[in-house]
Amino acid sequence: MHNIGILQLTQNLDDAVHGFKSGLTGQDLAVEFHYVNADGALHDLPQLAGKLAKQKVDLIFACSTPAAQAAVALAGNIPVVFTPVFDPVGAGLVKTMDKPGGKATGMAGMVPAAAKAAFIRELLPSANNIGILYHSGDSNALLEISNFKQAAAGLFSLVELPADKAEDLSVLADRLPPNLDALFLPIGRVIEENFASVAYYAEAANLPIITSHAPNVPAGALGALVANHFELGRACGAQAAQILAGAEPGNIPVGIVEHPEIQLNTFVAANLGIELSPSLLVKAKEVFE
Amino acid sequence: MLLTRQSVELLAPVGTWEVLEAAITAGADAVYLGGKRFNMRLHRTDTNFDDKKLTQAITYAHARNVRLYVTVNNLISEREIPGVRDYLKFLNEIQPDALIVQDLAILELAREINLTVPLHASVMMNTHNEHTIKALMDYGITRVVTNRELTLSQLSLLRERTGVELEYFIHGDMCAAHSGQCFHSGVVFGQSSNRGRCLKPCRWPYQLVDTLTGQAVAAKDPGPYKLALKDMCMYTALPQLIQSGVCSFKIEGRMRTADFVSRIVRLYRKALDRYIADPNGYTFDATDWQELYEYRSRDFSTCYALGNPGASSIGYTGEREPRFFSQAVKEAGVTGSAAVLVPNTGSDNPSLRLRPALAVRVADLASLTSAFANGADIAYIGGEAFAPGKPWSLEDIKAAVKLADDRQVQVIVTTPRITMEREAGELEQLFAGLETLKPHGLMVSNSGMLRLAKQTSSLSIQTDFSFNLFNHLTAAWLKDNGASKATISLEATYEQITELAKHSPLPLEMIIHGAIEAMVLDHCIPSAIMAGTATHPCHDLCSNRHYSLLDSAGERHDIKIDQYCRNHILFAKDLCLLPHLAALMQAGIVNYRIEGQHYSSELVGIITAAYRAELDKLAAGDTYVFDKTIIDRIAGPRQLGIGAFRYRVSR
Repeated sequence: MHNIGILQLTQNLDDAVHGFKSGLTGQDLAVEFHYVNADGALHDLPQLAGKLAKQKVDLIFACSTPAAQAAVALAGNIPVVFTPVFDPVGAGLVKTMDKPGGKATGMAGMVPAAAKAAFIRELLPSANNIGILYHSGDSNALLEISNFKQAAAGLFSLVELPADKAEDLSVLADRLPPNLDALFLPIGRVIEENFASVAYYAEAANLPIITSHAPNVPAGALGALVANHFELGRACGAQAAQILAGAEPGNIPVGIVEHPEIQLNTFVAANLGIELSPSLLVKAKEVFE
Repeated sequence: MLLTRQSVELLAPVGTWEVLEAAITAGADAVYLGGKRFNMRLHRTDTNFDDKKLTQAITYAHARNVRLYVTVNNLISEREIPGVRDYLKFLNEIQPDALIVQDLAILELAREINLTVPLHASVMMNTHNEHTIKALMDYGITRVVTNRELTLSQLSLLRERTGVELEYFIHGDMCAAHSGQCFHSGVVFGQSSNRGRCLKPCRWPYQLVDTLTGQAVAAKDPGPYKLALKDMCMYTALPQLIQSGVCSFKIEGRMRTADFVSRIVRLYRKALDRYIADPNGYTFDATDWQELYEYRSRDFSTCYALGNPGASSIGYTGEREPRFFSQAVKEAGVTGSAAVLVPNTGSDNPSLRLRPALAVRVADLASLTSAFANGADIAYIGGEAFAPGKPWSLEDIKAAVKLADDRQVQVIVTTPRITMEREAGELEQLFAGLETLKPHGLMVSNSGMLRLAKQTSSLSIQTDFSFNLFNHLTAAWLKDNGASKATISLEATYEQITELAKHSPLPLEMIIHGAIEAMVLDHCIPSAIMAGTATHPCHDLCSNRHYSLLDSAGERHDIKIDQYCRNHILFAKDLCLLPHLAALMQAGIVNYRIEGQHYSSELVGIITAAYRAELDKLAAGDTYVFDKTIIDRIAGPRQLGIGAFRYRVSR
């Protein structure tokens, strides 16, 4: 019997947990899961990781970057499998993607920037000026912007709109340049948590939003190209099975998102008078109405 | 009364199957959960049960002797009614132990389809007095989830006087404002808290400023989160709670995890069982309390259960705020980018040929005179009086009726929005007094006062916006219960108003201009911040100064304090639908209202005259073009806005 700890930050990542369980169940292993969830409270993660360590788990599945960092920071040698961490190297979880080198591996969650740029081009064929609204204190956002700027060079002209703290979103309307065609939101906690205010101003300015955070789509973004958390979790399940069979996590390469999914909101499209191409609608994994 | 495990029900929130199992394993006597439809908590669609899962959940709970309540607790828009009817029929087949409902339309539908599932009144139903409870009991409500502003002793009284089962929140996240009466999210964002989409403006940071100078007023500001109520926690006061006669102890949090819910259920279960087994020998368990406290989200308060908690119930620093939903935004202005609604041409709507009635709510006799002199057909007086104004005495009402009779117009006496037992007693006396003064009608604000007015007064009765009227079945309920006119919800969008107007069995009135209240609170913000207490009443802080909350978008929300010390927080911009009158006439609205109680008598006159002139032009049927310069002419000290009207399509 293997004891597996699951350390989760929020319910937003439930799909990853379900995928992980399904990935492990398929491996014909006897496992017992010990599940803890910080319910959004970052400061509770070290304590919850410690609780799993006390239960003598053989491995921890950590959902989100802060959860993975809390699990890796535990004393001792409990292997950690993580997802959907954006930047495993930058977050200090692994040395390199191919050869993690320590006690952690997993599946990175970032959709390649080139794929996102191409998605925006297909979604909004005539868009030229794109505003990037991002949380300037979030390292994931900074990484995504850097990648996106490279990928979008030649496709769009970009305007950076940094937000340092949540209250900055209150005056977003005053900061939007007049000639924008769309807003792109990289991943980042402050923007995601206060998305309603961004959507409010974007609607008033007739601006479509393309987001990196899937729950923003039903809440008012026009579309997103996002990782399937269930699939990422399932791949983590396979990595965990390798580790339980004796492999070193440090030798298992970190996986990347290979088949990102399109999500669209037709309600928002109608409100903004945007016609979604039939080919895009067919390709979409989810269409919110 | 001897206690049993049946007389104290521990009621747990459930969002997923995993939480259902965890809550029941931890010892819940009952659980409540939502289906995919007509349910609050719509931010997260995955924390609700589909029809098949609902059926399975009932079987699962009943096999373990646990009761299961389904929340059907949204306000219902006109076009949703057929779906609700089907859903209720489905629920009647699968037989949960009760439905928790908000919209009065459900009471109508329950009769229509012979629903046999018991109904519980949601906390959103504005229930504070025995008359409301009796009105609901007439329609088969067997249990009331009471407002959180009621104390345990008030609950005991209600229980004694009505015999209804009372359900009370004992743990979790609470609103700062009276639930069901908070319109901030709905009017500003088009995402109504009464329809499960609250964006929690009460958790924004605010500065308390002097309304006149705009300067900060607190010498020692305790922190920016001035409305951020701490989480309710009754663990420390369980004996008082149990002895109050509340029969169901409700834990809040249908979006919470299994871990979170099962810990709270387990700890309360243990304490409840120990108390029931040996109340005299019961002692507080410090270890269990420590566990509950360690895993708290926010800090804890007993909120209103043991009396007004004042400053002690607010987590000013926001350190433990688990997550946010929005940040303050600039409210939509009347001259902004939002398009003016344009009616279809070529309609032969008969209402266009009627002269529309214009009503104005006023604070004093000077404003009443000004309103009548400038074309008002009706003046509303009474209800809340905002400092430094005085309540309407019987002498004042008599003078107002005389003024109206002389001009052959009407005076209608209104009642406060929140009516606890004290106010209900005062109103009973007022209604008796009005029999000789003979005003032209009464306007009531909750179903209890509707019932009381119907039973004790000969005057005609209408209902105010606080009934959250969204659909014609609710209007039918109001009519059945004695109303002759009703006010449309402040949160309804143009499309919803049009649909409602087509089907309503009652004449409808719509509020089109004025200083509108976003929230009403029993919490006094200035006294909590400046005196650090709830000294109640202080008779001091609001006698010669006015206060506002300044948000991070730079918007100022004035705080108006009434004679009961309740705080009414206004939107930053006053509603102004003058440019939309043509479209509203087209929709069939013939009764219009200006909320002028916060205006000077001069401004009341100017605004009344402007609306009267535009309505008359429209009614004359000539080609109508709206003159934008009128907006400048009716401008007062506060900016004008358009509320929910900015939404092209409603949710």
